[in-house]
Amino acid sequence: MGRIKAIVIKEFFHILRDPRSLTLVFIIPLVMIFILGYSISYDLNRVDAAVIDLSQSRLSKQLVRAFAANRIFVVHTRVQSQANVLSLTAAEDLLRRGKIKEIIVIPADFSRRLAADMQADIGLIIDGSDVNVANLVYQYDERIILDFIAAMKGVGQLLKLGTKVYFNPEARSQFFFIPGLVAVILLMISAMLTSLSIARERETGSIALLFISPLQSREIIVGKTIPYIVVALLDGALILLFARFWFGIPLRGSLAVLLFFALLYILAGLALGILISTTAPTQRVAMLATLLSTLLPSFLLSGFIFPLDSLSPILRAISYAVPATYFLRIIRGVILKGAALRHFLFEGFMLIALSLFLLAAATAKFNKQRRAAQ
Amino acid sequence: MKLLYLIKKELIEIVRQKELLFLMFVGPIIQIIVLGYVISTDIRHVPVGIVNLSKGQTAVRVIERVRRSPLFNVRLESDRNEDYLYLLKKGEVKAVLIFRDALDKKRSVLKYPEVQILMDGIDSNTSMIAAGYFNGIIKNYILNDMEKLGQGLPIAGKAMFRFNPQLRNINYMGPGIVAFLLTIITIFLTSASLVREKEQQTLDTLLMSPLSTLEIYVGKALPAVLIGLVDMVIGLLVIVLWFGIPFRGNIAILFLAALVYLAAILSYALLISVLSATTQQAMFFAWFSLMIFLLMSGFFTPVDNIPPTLRLLADINPLRYLIKIIREIFLKGNGIVYFWKDLLALAGISFTLVTISLLNFKRFISK
Repeated sequence: MGRIKAIVIKEFFHILRDPRSLTLVFIIPLVMIFILGYSISYDLNRVDAAVIDLSQSRLSKQLVRAFAANRIFVVHTRVQSQANVLSLTAAEDLLRRGKIKEIIVIPADFSRRLAADMQADIGLIIDGSDVNVANLVYQYDERIILDFIAAMKGVGQLLKLGTKVYFNPEARSQFFFIPGLVAVILLMISAMLTSLSIARERETGSIALLFISPLQSREIIVGKTIPYIVVALLDGALILLFARFWFGIPLRGSLAVLLFFALLYILAGLALGILISTTAPTQRVAMLATLLSTLLPSFLLSGFIFPLDSLSPILRAISYAVPATYFLRIIRGVILKGAALRHFLFEGFMLIALSLFLLAAATAKFNKQRRAAQ
Repeated sequence: MKLLYLIKKELIEIVRQKELLFLMFVGPIIQIIVLGYVISTDIRHVPVGIVNLSKGQTAVRVIERVRRSPLFNVRLESDRNEDYLYLLKKGEVKAVLIFRDALDKKRSVLKYPEVQILMDGIDSNTSMIAAGYFNGIIKNYILNDMEKLGQGLPIAGKAMFRFNPQLRNINYMGPGIVAFLLTIITIFLTSASLVREKEQQTLDTLLMSPLSTLEIYVGKALPAVLIGLVDMVIGLLVIVLWFGIPFRGNIAILFLAALVYLAAILSYALLISVLSATTQQAMFFAWFSLMIFLLMSGFFTPVDNIPPTLRLLADINPLRYLIKIIREIFLKGNGIVYFWKDLLALAGISFTLVTISLLNFKRFISK
């Protein structure tokens, strides 16, 4: 124990000797959450649509008005000043330029067909490049048309469909994104903190001193991790408090539970960093490896942006190796739903297992290098 | 020609490390393939719970359709009035569908049951899409019903999706991933390069060489340009050949845009390298910039949603323009007339960054 303490103290000196890095560790996450918390959202606030009304009848004008009355639709009927009716080619060009998201075409026989009790079709030409937006636009279209039919027939609603949203009643995407960002940032910062520690010693050659020290490899690895637990946990607490008080993300569960799991999660991140550091020959390799192994997987394979239930079995298996998968579930559950410790026994167990595995792998790797050097 | 030696030295330093080579050329392929599959999965198997309080046959038939649909994964079914909220809270289901018999003043029971959807609003995107699927099922049911009675819906919206007719998500996200991997690799290679020479005190050797400041600057940036371009070719091949994303535009313009972009990103990375005292500092600066570049570029979420006060940050984000251009070229097959403004903005940012970075570099060298 005393020997581990010695290496912990030495490592603390390393951290304190570079106060600028330490400041960055605390400031960068806050600035990031501040900027990104406001900037990333999926909400569809405005749909620009061009309407080509070839029918120009009472009913078609009513339909156009129904679209215009919707909160998010901005309807353009006259773009070229000289022409009364917007031509299809001009509208297609606007679509290509990204000025509008859809073109609504009402055919000339629209009201004639309706009067004859036949089905009248409306053309909806939607910009499909952003799939998410295209789907939402189409859903809005359908709803507006169904409401219009109901009003036309005077039947009220065809069917009563009530939707109630829980945990995030205003459907603010900040509630979804900010806890996710906290998870990604916490993992990345933990992994980065330790990722250079051994690679740096290797680059400067001081690793030879570590090799010949009486310490066991296990003790070196653990001793190099402990100081960063303190740093990362302080950082994590700061980030959580910032999300709570600046963005008003409610904390419905217990802070102690959240910090407990944050500790396990940080440990997994630090262990990943240590493993990278023992494997990488230079700091440059360590940096690149840390980024590649944490950034996109934490966003895309953790359930942050794409729900895990939809993934194929192989990808789901990979997601079990991504620490963010577990913490994301925990942080969303505790913060937004007020879930308790006992809900996340599996997640907690997996985080511990991952950390132990990574630390063991790092120790084995370090041991091998040590023996090769001697 | 002296410059060639420096470039050669930098390249040797990179090639010497097989781990680095792996990360630069094999890593991106693996990432694009794995992430490509993640991105191309549509949202399906949404876990839902069903509570049926209706006595009619309609509800039974609609529920049968939900059960058979691959879009939903029915985890729980019940016909009792229970605590629905508990199911949501446990996180086992994303939505609970409740069917009740609706009453009419004239008739005792309406033909169609009243349906209520209780959604977990945290992942609002998935919930919205799931609700959309469910609406679709109900609408189709009613439509079938009406057709049996010999009447269709009087008005039908026929949708057509331009530029991406099958609404494949990978067509939209794939090119973006290539742009982003290009950014990660070049920014990290370069931001660490000068700092390392500072840390190892080999910088003096470099400064005593007959190379001019400009030559040193270019010599540090050019290898990364080469690597970036190779990575981009690999990435483009993977998304076109493996994922079958159609390429409709002009490849020369795409590479022109990439070169302008690389000038911006590499001069920025060299600026980081000049301003950082240790590799760790360089890493934190590069990481911070990367996250901001990525998340304010329109890669995941629309740029239009950024509030006006922070808009300036998005406007000076070079990745934003590259992603816009690469999507224009890939998805729409647009020519330069459609995005010359974006290319011009990118060139402007690039020029400014190169100037600032070069001035700082000169000041640093002369010290």
